[in-house]
Amino acid sequence: MELIKDINKKVLDWLDERYDARQWIRENLTEKWVHKHINWLYCFGGLSFLGFLIQIGTGIFLMMYYIPTPKDALASVQHIANNVPFGWLFQRLHSISANVVNLLVMFHMLRVLYHGAYKKPREFQWVSGVFLLLITMAMSFSGYLLPWTQLSYWGAIIGTEMPGATPFIGEWLLQLIRGGAQITGITLTRFYAIHVVVLPLTLIVFLGLHFWMIKKVGISGPM
Amino acid sequence: MEKSIEKNSSNSKRSFLKLLFLTVMGVSFGGVIYPIIRYLSPLSQQKEGEKVEILKDEVPIGKAKFLTYKGNPAVVIHTKAGFTALSAVCTHLGCIVKWLEDKGEFQCPCHAGRFDVTGKVLSGPPPNPLLQIAVVESGAKIVIG
Repeated sequence: MELIKDINKKVLDWLDERYDARQWIRENLTEKWVHKHINWLYCFGGLSFLGFLIQIGTGIFLMMYYIPTPKDALASVQHIANNVPFGWLFQRLHSISANVVNLLVMFHMLRVLYHGAYKKPREFQWVSGVFLLLITMAMSFSGYLLPWTQLSYWGAIIGTEMPGATPFIGEWLLQLIRGGAQITGITLTRFYAIHVVVLPLTLIVFLGLHFWMIKKVGISGPM
Repeated sequence: MEKSIEKNSSNSKRSFLKLLFLTVMGVSFGGVIYPIIRYLSPLSQQKEGEKVEILKDEVPIGKAKFLTYKGNPAVVIHTKAGFTALSAVCTHLGCIVKWLEDKGEFQCPCHAGRFDVTGKVLSGPPPNPLLQIAVVESGAKIVIG
């Protein structure tokens, strides 16, 4: 125990000398001042972020076994769920917590609406939050196709028909999303790239903005 | 406040709670790490000393069949003299040799080492012949190992 304390102190001293570590810990963790009116309703944003971290972690694990081709997609997902040790755990965690994250994000939004926390000076927190909601939903939609099951396939057809109803550019938009007139292997790899690279990166940028603004402006006052 | 906690630090209740806390943390941490390590570990391969069986029809005369023996690449070749099984790992730097059917010899794609059907080095940098693996013919099958 003494040894651990000693090492702890030395590491902190080292960090302190260079980066004011102790001050940072005091200001952000041990002596952080929290409003009296904060209650459990304020936890949904943080929980959404926790869900996002779970999605990143389990998603990377799934990527290690998943094969994004029409021939192998379903088989590789079944392989993960049935043969890979604890594959069922990561696969279920990924798909269930995807649904949970959507719920949490919406609860978070409802809380902000209810408290009127979107008003001046937090307008752009709301705007970035709406983008985050849309990206979360796009994540769910693009991930839904990847197991290449009947549900995924028909879900993707219906989901892509909707932008197809846009006036004038609908048909072009539909074909752009599908990578052709039909849902094919091209759509699968397209959705895969969007799901694992494009959307996560965009999401991280908006999360950064969202968090930076919260830090700058502070959490909203009591009702 | 600080002082009163310090005074009780030798208290058995406090040290018990500390131990309990560390145990719970340790178990939770292990519960997360264990599935991750199992998930990332390669699926169990053939056990040591396990034999590989293939049908004779799979390797016609003059052809070679590549397979996995004890987790490493191996090759079975069928010549007029019968079946031979060799390790397919070049003894130079570990590339996998390929079978040149028209020449009846193995060539390593990395540094052009050449081996004959018995695994003997014909030319190139490999210092040793390819490892021989025992082959037993039984009916329509051959057993390697």
